[in-house]
Amino acid sequence: MNIYDIILKKIKDVRMETGDDEPVSNMAASSMLTAEITIISTLLIAVVMLRLLNKTLMIGSVVLIFVLAIVAMPIMPRLKREQNDSLASMSFYVIIGLGIIVTLFYWGNLNG
Amino acid sequence: MNYLIPLMVVIPITCALFLNLLHERTRTVKAISIIVALALPTVPLIANYGVQYFGGYPPLAQNPTIAVGLPTLITGTALNIFHPAITYVFGSAQKLMIVILGFIALFAIYISLYEVKKASGVYAYLMLMGTASIIAMLLSDDIFNLYVFFEIAALAQVGIVLVSKVDYNYETALKYMILGSIASPLLLIGIALLLGVTGNVNITDIVYSIQHGLVNPQSPVLLMACSLIIFGWLYGTGLPPFHTIKSAMYSKALPTGAALLQAFSVFSFVAIGIIILRIFSYLPFAHIFIIGISLVAMTLGITMAITQTDFKRLIAYLAVGELGYIGIGLGLGTALGITAGLFQAVNEAVITAFLFIGFGTIMYKTKETDMRKLGGMLVETPKSALLVLLAGLAMAGVPPFNAFQSKLMLVQASLNSGLPEIAIIMVLLSIVTFMTFMRAFHTIYLRPKPADLEIKNEKIPNITLVAMVAFLVVCLVFGLFPQIATNFLQGMAMSIA
Repeated sequence: MNIYDIILKKIKDVRMETGDDEPVSNMAASSMLTAEITIISTLLIAVVMLRLLNKTLMIGSVVLIFVLAIVAMPIMPRLKREQNDSLASMSFYVIIGLGIIVTLFYWGNLNG
Repeated sequence: MNYLIPLMVVIPITCALFLNLLHERTRTVKAISIIVALALPTVPLIANYGVQYFGGYPPLAQNPTIAVGLPTLITGTALNIFHPAITYVFGSAQKLMIVILGFIALFAIYISLYEVKKASGVYAYLMLMGTASIIAMLLSDDIFNLYVFFEIAALAQVGIVLVSKVDYNYETALKYMILGSIASPLLLIGIALLLGVTGNVNITDIVYSIQHGLVNPQSPVLLMACSLIIFGWLYGTGLPPFHTIKSAMYSKALPTGAALLQAFSVFSFVAIGIIILRIFSYLPFAHIFIIGISLVAMTLGITMAITQTDFKRLIAYLAVGELGYIGIGLGLGTALGITAGLFQAVNEAVITAFLFIGFGTIMYKTKETDMRKLGGMLVETPKSALLVLLAGLAMAGVPPFNAFQSKLMLVQASLNSGLPEIAIIMVLLSIVTFMTFMRAFHTIYLRPKPADLEIKNEKIPNITLVAMVAFLVVCLVFGLFPQIATNFLQGMAMSIA
C-alpha cells in the first residue's frame, strides 16, 4: 500500500468516525497529502534550530522526528480530527496550553 | 491638549450608543452610520501626534507648578516622573494602524448598510463599539484601561457573530464566551500581579520600574504575570490553542463582520504584543516563546486551511496562519523584524478584509459557502472574481502587492538574526497559502457550475466592488512604495528593539 492509499484510507476512517459519508475526492486527498508534507517538513526545519542549543541534540532530534513522522504517518487526518469545534476538545487544549505556558515562563525562567 | 486623540474613541462609542437606541429608525441609523464611519479613518488622519492625559494630569516632572511645595519624598523619587492619570499615546505607528482599521471599518459598515433593505442599528452599534475598543487598545499606555477595552472588544465580537444570520452562530459565540471566561480573568490576574509588584498600571512606568531596579525583574510573581498576560494575548488574537474557536468565529459571521473581526484580532495582536515586548523583553524566553507560538500558528493555520471545504473557514484559518508572520517579526525583536511584523499586520488586515468581502459576493449570490456545492461563478461575477484573484495573490505574497514586501522584510530580518530556518518555513508556507487559495479559486470560479446550484439574479452592490477596488489600491500602493508604511512604523520598532 503506497502513501497515497494510506492517506486515502485514513481520511475515509476519519470521515466515518465523524459521520461524514460523502465520497473522498481527489482534491480532498491531495489537499491532505500537501498538508501532511507541509507539516512534516516544517517540523523538521524547525527542529534544525536546536543547533543554537547543541548540534548533537539537533541531529538526534531531526533523526528521531523523521523516524516518528514516518511511523506515525499520516499525521494530518489525526490532527484535523483533534482540531474540531467541540467545546470539550477546545477546553482541553486551552487548559493544556495554559499549563505549558505557566510552566515554561514560571519554572523555566526561575531555573534557567 | 490634542482633543482629537480621545475623540477617536469617544465619537464611535457615543454614536454606537445612539444607534442602539434608534435601531428601528432605518434612515437615521443609515445617516449616523455613514457619518461616523467616515470619521473613523478621517479623525486619526488629521490628528497631530501627541499624548493625552485624562483628567489633565501629566507627570509632576512635566508640570512644575503643581510640583512646587511638594516634599522631596515625591519630587526627588520616581514618583516625580510617574503618570498619575490614564495616558493615550498617539504616534506615527498608531496613526497608520488606526487609519487602516478605520478604513476597513468604513467599508464594512457601508457594505452592511447597502447589502440589506433595512439597516440594522444593533449591527452598526456592535461594529462601532468593537472598532472604538481596538482603537483605544492601540492608543492606551495604561494596561488596565487596555484590559477594559479588550473585554468590550471581546463582547462586541460575540455580538457581531450573534446578530449574523449564519447557521450555528449562537453555538459558536457561546463557545467563544465560555473559553473567554477562562482566558480573560487570567489576563486580569496577570495585570493584577503586575500592579502588585510594580505598584503601577501605566506601561511606561512599569518598564521604568523594571529597567531601573525598582522591582526585582526575576520576581516569581512577575514571571507568573508574564505567563498569564501571554495566555490572555493568545485568546484575544486567536493564536493556538484558541485558533479553532477564532476561525469558527470568523466563519460564523457575515462577510462584513468577518472582515472586521479579523482586523480586530490583528490589531489586538499588535497592541498587546508590543506591550509584552516592552515589559518582558528582558526575558530571553519571551522572544523564543513568541517565535515558537507563531511558528505553530502559521503551520496549523495554513495546513488546516488547505483541508477545509467551507471557503469562509478556509480564509479564517489562513488569517490565523498569517498572524504567525506578524509574531515572527515581533519575536525576532530587532528593529527590522519588528518593523516587518508591524508592516505585515497592516497588510494582513487589509488583504484578509479584501478576501472576506470578495468571497462574500459568492455568499450574496448563492447563500452557499460549501465549496463542494459551488462552481462556475466566473461567468456570474467576473469583476469580483478578478479582484478576489488579486487579493489571493496578495495574501500569498506575490509581487507587486504589499504582503510581498512585508514577507520579504521578514525573511531578511530572520536571515539577519541568524535564523535561516524561519525564512525557509515562511517561504514554504507562503507557497502552500498560494496553493490553498488557488484550489479555492478553481473550485468556486473555474470548474463547471453544479446543476443544482441556485444563483440569485441580483447585481452585486456597487459599494462592495468599490470597497474591493479601494483595498486593491492600498495593496498596490504599499507594495510599490513600502516606505510609505514603514516610515510610520520604524519609530515604534526602534523604541522597542
